Amino acid sequence: MPHDARATSRLIPALASVFLLVFAIAAWTRSPSPAPPRGDVLRGRHLVITHACGDCHGGFTNPAAPGWLAGVMSPEQEFKIGPCAVTPGAQPCFTTRPRNLTPDNATGLGRFSERQIFNALRYGLRPEDTPDVTITGAKPGVGNFPEHPHYLAPPMPWMSWRNMSDQELFDIAAYLKRGLKPVANKVQDSEGPPDFWAGEYADPKYGSYPAPAFPTANEVRP
Amino acid sequence: MPSSWRSRRLFAFVAFAAPVAVFSAAGRTPGPARTVELTLTAAPARLSLVPGTTSDVFAYNGQVPGPTLEFREGDHVVIHFHNALPEATTIHWHGLHIPSTSDGSPLTPIRPGGSYDYVFTLLPGSAGTYWYHPHPDRRTGYQIAKGLYGALIVRAADDPLAGIPERLLVLSDNRFLPNGEVDFPSPESPQAEIDEENGREGNVVFISGKVMPTDSIRSGGVQRWRIINASAARVYRLALEGHDLIQVGTDGGLFERPVPVKEIVLANSERAEILVRATGAPGSRAVLRALPYDRYAPQTRPLDWNTSRDLLTLQYTDEAPVAPVALPGRLREVPALDTADATVRRVIVFSQGMIDGRKMDMRRVDERARLGATEIWQIENVVGMDHPFHLHGFQFQVLDRNGVPEPFRAWSDGINVPKHGTVRIIVRFDDYPGKWMYHCHILDHEDEGMMGILAVTSTGR
Repeated sequence: MPHDARATSRLIPALASVFLLVFAIAAWTRSPSPAPPRGDVLRGRHLVITHACGDCHGGFTNPAAPGWLAGVMSPEQEFKIGPCAVTPGAQPCFTTRPRNLTPDNATGLGRFSERQIFNALRYGLRPEDTPDVTITGAKPGVGNFPEHPHYLAPPMPWMSWRNMSDQELFDIAAYLKRGLKPVANKVQDSEGPPDFWAGEYADPKYGSYPAPAFPTANEVRP
Repeated sequence: MPSSWRSRRLFAFVAFAAPVAVFSAAGRTPGPARTVELTLTAAPARLSLVPGTTSDVFAYNGQVPGPTLEFREGDHVVIHFHNALPEATTIHWHGLHIPSTSDGSPLTPIRPGGSYDYVFTLLPGSAGTYWYHPHPDRRTGYQIAKGLYGALIVRAADDPLAGIPERLLVLSDNRFLPNGEVDFPSPESPQAEIDEENGREGNVVFISGKVMPTDSIRSGGVQRWRIINASAARVYRLALEGHDLIQVGTDGGLFERPVPVKEIVLANSERAEILVRATGAPGSRAVLRALPYDRYAPQTRPLDWNTSRDLLTLQYTDEAPVAPVALPGRLREVPALDTADATVRRVIVFSQGMIDGRKMDMRRVDERARLGATEIWQIENVVGMDHPFHLHGFQFQVLDRNGVPEPFRAWSDGINVPKHGTVRIIVRFDDYPGKWMYHCHILDHEDEGMMGILAVTSTGR
């Protein structure tokens, strides 16, 4: 059936272009902000424990510990960021403080939406300085990404954790907002450079999101 | 003759029309009310702000600050405004309880070359210290920094402090280039980003347009100072060296009784009335200072925040002291707004540059209230810097700050919400339906969209 085969071979690209067009139109007409995944509190709890959130934010890996995720309660929990971390007195020197992650309205995450917490984990954006919107852009000024982004202070490793899936990050947000009792613990704001770490995070050492395709020069296909 | 000179000559004349006595048709006030008509023109001008230099400015009737407007309770006021600026503007009559059509909000811009009549009646009980300034969309900070601001005083016929000599202190600050021009950093510069955070602070502080002026006082006497914070972002913690102060009023006029204070914190747009008792010796002097006040987030706190600034020298005359003046123990009645009458409680969340996680949208209504309703607003600041709240059109009473009840009743249209703090206010939307702004009065934040719109309607929907 060479004739039919030829016809089919002509038809496939034609069909493909129709499908592509349909997909393109579907993608274009799709709502610009699709409903975000609904986070799951228990999956979020698992992620919070396994990702060591409590090591800095309080309680280590024990959700039953007093001060679990309630933020800095003593100066030993603060960080010194800058040359002073190695050489006392060296400048610049910023004191950064793990925040209260419990849903307390006044001192914790209570006034922030799960989307704002997602934006903090995916893009490193401080929830109090970033509009509660769905971000579709990857660089400042594009797709709701703030023109002058204010990033979370080091050593919060959002650059690693942004690589979790949307679902996983919303699971974490769900646990923090809906799976914890509010604890009133006011943590003083972290110090930092006036650009809110934008210069620091521009450093290529942090890589990009999403991560480059496998394998990179350091990697091998098994 | 340059045309700019001619236009300035045309517009610079302060046309205070002779007050016309009429009889109040509404019968709100006993006795005759007046209609006061005047003309205000906003136009470019070239003036000397800092001695020894000249600057391109925007000026009301050729002056920076603009002319001080004085009215009486009951006055029917008609202000013929001309916009001779190269850009749209408005005049907001900051703190006055007047119809929304005369509020000068961003919803009613006056185009370049355009005119508008602001018409309102000053109700009984409205005596106090107010100010006026532009309020166009996104350009308020720029236009005020260019020189558009002025004081407005409403006097009561039965002012308990009548006869005490008065001073008006309009506090403002600005930043200048070495050539004397007002310094606006380019949008992408580090300074612009810091201004966006802190609000624009200038290194030159003006007291009613003068730098470090000297005022005189006679030992033993008393002066009444009306102080207005017209600065875009600077908060003044005021103290007069060697003197205790007596605060007698805030934004919306006098307290019920005088309150002794050591110092006064005046956030952006706020006003205070104080009595200064001249307890110093003849020939001595005292300096009015702005003490350090940490309103800043740690990331952008200025290096010199912890230094004081001298604002004004008070020079005692050599005359022999006068006998101390007896001050009234009671000033007036400030009727309480009753929390039991509140039918609606709202939470308004301030974060950095946003209200309730949103930027201002002029097409959006953020809150709706019913005409006549009494409401409690809880304003929560979730960030580590202060944000001063201002509500247009209605005077409110502060109930508590961070849970601490306000020690005495006062009328306000602005209240500072400290870092990570909560302030509760009570307000009655007793008349004047329309759309009203509420916003952070750090002008850079306001212009960035830290503002919401309240619609007051007969149904509340």
